[in-house]
Amino acid sequence: MSEDGAGALPPGRPGRQPGSHQENPSLDSSCFSSPPVNFLQELPSYRSIARRRTAILSRDRQRGTLLKPADSYSSHLDGAITENLNSQSIRKYALNISEKRRLRDIQETQMKYLSEWDQWKRYSSKSWKRFLEKGREMTTHLELWRQDIRSIEGKFGTGIQSYFSFLRFLVLLNLVIFLIIFMLVLLPVLLTKYKITNSSFVLIPLKDMDIQCTAYPISSSGLIYFYSYIIDLLSGTGFLEGTSLFYGHYTIDGVKFQNFTYDLPLAYLLSTIAYLALSLLWIVKRSVEGFKINLIRSEEHFQSYCNKIFAGWDFCITNRSTADLKHSSLRYELRADLEEERIRQKIAERTSEETIRIYSLRLFLNCIVLAVLVACFYAIYIATIFSQEHMKKEIDKMVFGENLLILYLPSIVITLANFITPMIFAKIIHYEDYSPGFEIRLTILRCVFMRLATICVLVFTLGSKITSCDNGTECELCGYNQKLYPCWETQVGQEMYKLMIFDFIIILAVTLFVDFPRKLLVTYCSSWKLIKCWGQQEFAIPDNVLGIVYGQTICWIGAFFSPLLPAIATLKFIIIFYVKELSLLYTCRPSPRQFRASNSNFFFLLVLLIGLCLAIIPLTISMSRIPSSKACGPFTNFNTTWDVIPKTVSTFPSSLQSLVHGITSEAFAVPFFMIICLVMFYFIALAGAHKQVVDQLREQLSLVRKHRPRGSGIAVAPSPHLLPKLCLQAWPPPASFLH
Amino acid sequence: MGQCLRYQMHWEDLEEYQALTFLTRNEILCIHDTFLKLCPPGKYYKEATLTMNQVSSLPALRVNPFRDRICRVFSHNDVFSFEDVLGMASVFSEQACPSLKIEYAFRIYDFNENGFIDEEDLQRIALRLLNTDDVSEDLLMDLTKHVLSESDLDNDNMLSFSEFEHAMAKSPDFMNSFRIHFWGC
Repeated sequence: MSEDGAGALPPGRPGRQPGSHQENPSLDSSCFSSPPVNFLQELPSYRSIARRRTAILSRDRQRGTLLKPADSYSSHLDGAITENLNSQSIRKYALNISEKRRLRDIQETQMKYLSEWDQWKRYSSKSWKRFLEKGREMTTHLELWRQDIRSIEGKFGTGIQSYFSFLRFLVLLNLVIFLIIFMLVLLPVLLTKYKITNSSFVLIPLKDMDIQCTAYPISSSGLIYFYSYIIDLLSGTGFLEGTSLFYGHYTIDGVKFQNFTYDLPLAYLLSTIAYLALSLLWIVKRSVEGFKINLIRSEEHFQSYCNKIFAGWDFCITNRSTADLKHSSLRYELRADLEEERIRQKIAERTSEETIRIYSLRLFLNCIVLAVLVACFYAIYIATIFSQEHMKKEIDKMVFGENLLILYLPSIVITLANFITPMIFAKIIHYEDYSPGFEIRLTILRCVFMRLATICVLVFTLGSKITSCDNGTECELCGYNQKLYPCWETQVGQEMYKLMIFDFIIILAVTLFVDFPRKLLVTYCSSWKLIKCWGQQEFAIPDNVLGIVYGQTICWIGAFFSPLLPAIATLKFIIIFYVKELSLLYTCRPSPRQFRASNSNFFFLLVLLIGLCLAIIPLTISMSRIPSSKACGPFTNFNTTWDVIPKTVSTFPSSLQSLVHGITSEAFAVPFFMIICLVMFYFIALAGAHKQVVDQLREQLSLVRKHRPRGSGIAVAPSPHLLPKLCLQAWPPPASFLH
Repeated sequence: MGQCLRYQMHWEDLEEYQALTFLTRNEILCIHDTFLKLCPPGKYYKEATLTMNQVSSLPALRVNPFRDRICRVFSHNDVFSFEDVLGMASVFSEQACPSLKIEYAFRIYDFNENGFIDEEDLQRIALRLLNTDDVSEDLLMDLTKHVLSESDLDNDNMLSFSEFEHAMAKSPDFMNSFRIHFWGC
């Protein structure tokens, strides 16, 4: 078999004009000298070539018939054919089923002429692929909520469907986080507590520590009113405080099994690091796709026109009303894009005087935005301090409502702030005179930052309260404010628990008491002008996504202080899925401005990543700076939580120890950092060079076009799936093949 | 509407269809059931055909603005055999590879079937998408101009297959939107 044929038709290589290239005259002549080759004509890639030479053929042709091979069909192509036929699976060819059948028969016949080894290789790769496919098919059955999400996609489009897929991803993430914590922390404790295995707890008493630091009074009053159970349930105090829900329950230094001692403090710390690392890796893996797409897309346009025209219609829509909505949203989008073009041109034509005016106005408005943010943070700070101080006083003596109000004050203030600030931001941004696309992005970014930063402010306020004392002596004793916070991690855990419960209650309450009545009003009292103006609820994707990212950030921060919190979060998200689905189906009309799925996926994961980064900051500070409480928890024998690691490293064999010390020393870190910088600069330079090459090639293409007379399109090699058609043409194989 | 002769699909046929298309077992069986309900009475399913109108009015295609083009591209001699329907479902299934989808998308969008997507085709696509009569010439010309400026690499005012392929490879929404779930399977 000649190698020329193989060289002439490698898949994907840009081809040359058939008239001028020497490598496969057979293809050329068989195309044009033989009777019209039906298969080839069907393929657009062929037709681009054929347009130059032959007249445009009519549609009147027979499909599905195989022609006798042209005589000039030589073995030049055989090499290419055997190369390519076996490299792709049959399904990928753009042929109908009867043609694919013939192709498969050809392949099988070809296999007979191969050596035993090749035959076995091919057979085993085919069976392996089939096995993988069956496995994949079975796992799709296991996919959670597959049917629900598909029907949402059909009725509301892919933008809203991406929200529900995101929610499903969070459910799975929380489940895996809980499994990690369960395996590493809960399982040994439970096994020992319920005497399933023959193990015992190891409790090492504190040495050189003032007895005062270890005092941990758990309040238990004699007569308990019924409502205090409810308060305890909602705020994590009372009977819940000592349970395995919170950090304080795990005052264990180790679990002694038959052969070894399980180091619980180390396991606790490692589970935290593990779930943070796992979340980071999983989110980055999921967002890599979207990131690549965002990079490749040209930077000038928010969304390219090609994408909107050719991929604008969701082919999976089956509903008449959804289709009408999609049409109107496409109308809106295309008009808005052209409008944005016009605005961009207007901006470019601004005079310098106007530019100065606009920039000073923007500076002023950004200061207002900052002022609003600072005001909200200050309000949260005050509310938290107030709530903490009053919680310490005799809370049992207060009335029921006042009780809850004090306990939930920080959560209420955060929710109010998150409700008011988006409205303020939306008003402000009108005056800043940005292009519409940028306006949306900036507003969303501000709301995201606001929402997630409020949790950080809360945690930092708590942290400052824990480490501040009225007179210095109290803090010096144990390192933290022991009188108010004998077991401060549990109390931080309680705050996170309260935030999560309150968030859940608010979401349910808004759906039940705002969405459904609104729908009822619109359906039955539509004659009132006000109701008609207000209209039916729209499913606002950004707000909903911020809500669940907020819940997830609370879970990430709180999982260290309250190991069962991820399980609660999983249940919460499952219930929210069904609630949102019902709300969507029964009360919402889709908004005319729709999010695109590709954009949405990347946006959701970006917001989630911001939440994760904002969650890691308070965790690292509390683990490494604030001394761990001496009265409760697994870290009573350590100065701070992080001290477990150096202590464990000191128990390693000395060679390993010196290795670890070497890696963490400056002598290693600085060169490592410099090498990473060099690698990064290399890739940046490479990307810049590629971009230049792309621009040059584009220029070349248009030059080549200019210098050729009209009517000759770009000659391209037929796509890889053209080859089987050529092969079918060649069947039965020429005699030379058999030797 | 009568039904075809009630033959159960042979296991070998099912295996073969699974190997030759991107569809799963369940999907093939679903399509088989629906095909049996729609085809004319007294015929074996492998020989029966559906008209283009019947396929256009399936729930999956009923509201699609390109349904006539889809039917034209996938049918043979203006009728659909069972294998034509399977081929169509395979191209639009979730598991299909991008190159296959791009190939058929090009055929569907080439309204005048001259092997290129030219300005006339682009205007017709835009009209189908907007689905309104209240559209100015300027808007269509603007849109066409923008699409061509983005993807027409050799400046001949039309898109050849390779230019279309290049544009769709960059397009983030193409794979997601070019999917149809047939027959509620």
